[in-house]
Amino acid sequence: MENKILSQDESLELITRMIQETRKGFEKGGGNIFLLWGYLCLGVSLLVYFLFHYTSNYSVLWLWFLIPVLGYPFMYLIKRRDRKRIVTFIDSVICKIWIVIGFCTLLICLTILYDYSLLPILFLISLLVTSGVAMSGLIMKFKPVIISGFIGIFICFCFLFVPWVYQTLVFSAMAIIMLIIPGHILNLSVKAEQHD
Amino acid sequence: MIKELNPLLHSQLRLAIISILVSVEEADFVFLREKTGATAGNLSIQIEKLSAAGYIEVIKGYSGKRPRTVCRITADGRQAFEEYVQGLKELINLEL
Repeated sequence: MENKILSQDESLELITRMIQETRKGFEKGGGNIFLLWGYLCLGVSLLVYFLFHYTSNYSVLWLWFLIPVLGYPFMYLIKRRDRKRIVTFIDSVICKIWIVIGFCTLLICLTILYDYSLLPILFLISLLVTSGVAMSGLIMKFKPVIISGFIGIFICFCFLFVPWVYQTLVFSAMAIIMLIIPGHILNLSVKAEQHD
Repeated sequence: MIKELNPLLHSQLRLAIISILVSVEEADFVFLREKTGATAGNLSIQIEKLSAAGYIEVIKGYSGKRPRTVCRITADGRQAFEEYVQGLKELINLEL
């Protein structure tokens, strides 16, 4: 492309073409953040379930804090590594939604430090996260994420009816459905797009 | 009265840069170079001209150890682009 002066038609065609270029699909590694939180939630929930099952020691519940303690630094590293070449308005809206969800989740975690029986923790955190997944899917217009988000919202209500020991297993299932599966599908669709 | 088209935007490469930036929050230099197909030197010069006019904001930083330049359109740039498109529409209507 040079610095030549354009005719009216050429100008319009150029504007249209450039705007369309910015709307092409997802960027490489788009599903990595989903996978990070998904595998982390799955691993920690299974660890808590089995340790409690074999030891009956309530202090294993502190292990839940491994999720934010490991998740946030790793997320920072992944974001630095997979730095996007463009930030679209969609990226920006999704980011802001997750900042609000992260903030609410943090407040819930702080509340349980004060009194763990005050709130149905897993229910609230899962409802927040699945809502975030569903909203992200709707904004991205990406069906697998929309579907998994809404399935997750329905599954959340199981927490209210299941004994707390088994709630950790429900949480594991949710991590697979709402984060791991859509994360892999998102990365596969980016690969398929790049092949095309 | 038909407005004259902004000469700063009425050039192929500068118009391409502004058209990309108007539809995203920010884009880095490599992305702009790929999408416009311009040489790095020419792209730098045109970015500098748009920045000097206050149409775009240029943020120089690092991605790991590599230098990274990110561009964002400013409110003035957005307004100039909208006026440019309006001017184009008026010219095309006049020809029809």
